Amino acid sequence: MSDLYLSRIRRWFLNSPPAEWALCRLREVLIGALTQGPIPRHVAFEMDGNRRYARSHKIETIEGHHLGFEALARVLEICYKCGVKVVTVYAFSIENFNRPKYEVDGLMQLAKMKLEQLIQHGELLERYGASVRVLGQRDLMSPDVLEVVDRAVATTKHNKTAILNICFPYTSREEITTAIRSTVEEYSTTPRPHSTPFSQSRITQKILSKQGDNTELLSSIRESSPSPPESRFDDAESISSSSATLHPDSPPLKSGAGENVTIYPNAENITAETIDNHLYTAGCPPLDLFVRTSGVERLSDFMLWQCHQDTHIFFLKCFWPEFDLWHFLPVLVEWQRRQKQRDQDEKPGRRVKQA
Amino acid sequence: MPFNTQDPKAYRRNDKFDTMTAEERIKLLKPYLPSPPPRTSSQRAAAKAREKKSLFGVRRFLRDEFHLLVFTIVHAFFSLYIRIRQAYHAVINQVYSIYHYHHRTPELIQRDVKALRRLPKHLSVILKLEDYGRGSAGLERLVNEAADIAAWCASAGIPELSIYEKTGILKGYLPETQRAISQKLVTYFGPNGPALSVHAPHIPSVELPALQGAGRSDGSEPKPITVLLLSAEDGRDSIVDLTKTLTEMSQRSKLSSADISIELVDAELNESIMGEPDLLMLFGPHVELSGYPPWQIRLTEIFHVPDNQGVGYQVFYRGLCQFSHAQMRMGR
Repeated sequence: MSDLYLSRIRRWFLNSPPAEWALCRLREVLIGALTQGPIPRHVAFEMDGNRRYARSHKIETIEGHHLGFEALARVLEICYKCGVKVVTVYAFSIENFNRPKYEVDGLMQLAKMKLEQLIQHGELLERYGASVRVLGQRDLMSPDVLEVVDRAVATTKHNKTAILNICFPYTSREEITTAIRSTVEEYSTTPRPHSTPFSQSRITQKILSKQGDNTELLSSIRESSPSPPESRFDDAESISSSSATLHPDSPPLKSGAGENVTIYPNAENITAETIDNHLYTAGCPPLDLFVRTSGVERLSDFMLWQCHQDTHIFFLKCFWPEFDLWHFLPVLVEWQRRQKQRDQDEKPGRRVKQA
Repeated sequence: MPFNTQDPKAYRRNDKFDTMTAEERIKLLKPYLPSPPPRTSSQRAAAKAREKKSLFGVRRFLRDEFHLLVFTIVHAFFSLYIRIRQAYHAVINQVYSIYHYHHRTPELIQRDVKALRRLPKHLSVILKLEDYGRGSAGLERLVNEAADIAAWCASAGIPELSIYEKTGILKGYLPETQRAISQKLVTYFGPNGPALSVHAPHIPSVELPALQGAGRSDGSEPKPITVLLLSAEDGRDSIVDLTKTLTEMSQRSKLSSADISIELVDAELNESIMGEPDLLMLFGPHVELSGYPPWQIRLTEIFHVPDNQGVGYQVFYRGLCQFSHAQMRMGR
């Protein structure tokens, strides 16, 4: 009984105007203080624990998701005020389609409603200067949701200060596979021919005529000169002919006369950056901080490619709907501390090298 | 920013019944928004003038100084907290390592493991090469740690172990590592230890048959153990290499890009590198993957002991304990 009274008194106190004002000031000051140190440019959140929170508080699952959305709004505010450039959140996994249908539908409705509200007051995000991007497999979304998503992305496109990436039906393996596929596609479509005033056949002709030994050869080249558009190729590019597709063993260069020759960019030029640029997160700064709530210590198919290098990964015990500045502050401060330590570790090394 | 009591209630009611119009919602939100950014040049100029008017930015300067002060205080308190936490964890780790020690006897490790509900089939660890000048001390320690972990795995009955080390130095000394591990197994198991095979992707493997002895007294043969050595080039670079191969195939029209599926990539990477490990153990103080193969850690349980430094049996044991309690939900 006394417990109940205590919690009620506490709530009454926290909701009283002076306490509220003080808390508000405190938050402002803390966020302002954080910006004095280094700030991660790209933060990813895996919003886990909405359902377990709902279960432990005896409310409906979808209620839990709604509270989770409120937590997201809080966190976004903190991030953007601190100066984080890109926030990536895991809203819905492709695996989540295995959940009960009413929950999936509820989540879709939630996403649709929130995005619709976002569109209705577009200047809202303008104040934060944030643009929305939706990362994921689009063909898994239902058409009505897809339409809203596209509209939301279009209305916020011109905001440049910050980016909110919503991963929605997303898995990282799907992302990597898509990146590989689009890289392959890019490298196996012929680049558009440069419009060059120089014709290769004319040059060969000139050379041959200078040598002036065989007129028959010359005529044979003239015959083939109205060949399909040829492109200049650098030595970094490989040649393969489409006739090689019929006889894959025959060396591609043998089919002379320049007909049907397709020039592909060299596959050896593909690097990790190439794949980076084909990921959904192309153009975002490298991931500095990865936060997963609810005490589960797994990545669960989220940002695998982005976070496996020197991202600092934090697994927190609290559920996502509870997540607030008080949970996020220690993470940020610890990150800043590690950053400072790393700088210190690097500095003496540099000094030794100079000496 | 905390909300006053009424607003969240109204907001949640709206969430449920969708009763508000857009204008009402904006009215609800307005007090919590930051001031709009100056959009036109005249507005920007006005903002600048206002700033200038406020005593040449004294107010802003004071605010920044105040924030800096708070920043310093927060960091000071936080370092104090970290120190205390590190000390606390160091004590706990010491207690654990005294309480759980293997004494190089497989039976003790088996007894520890027996109570666990499940064991990983494939354990993965990340080791770090500590740079002790240019000598071979770092390498020696690394090989020693690898051998220790392999022996614990063999004792616990974990059939597959992969050891990731960023620079790939272990792969360069494959035969030496192999010898060190088999020697370590002898010190644990005596002359009739488990069969050992050590290999690394793209390097021919070395296999040692189980040492032929007079059979164990209790008749139970220890399970064979496979050790896989990984380095940073088995991570991103392997995916890049796969992309190159696929591109070449596509350029020769041996493959259409629509054939590239998750299953294909997964099968290829499984074949050439390794499958998904069940448990990944880190022996560092915090979670940083330092280039570990990204494709394979999708559902891997990641274990680390906070503020722990160095390889120890207690970390290994606690990792196994934690793993036996973890549940997989697969997105459901």
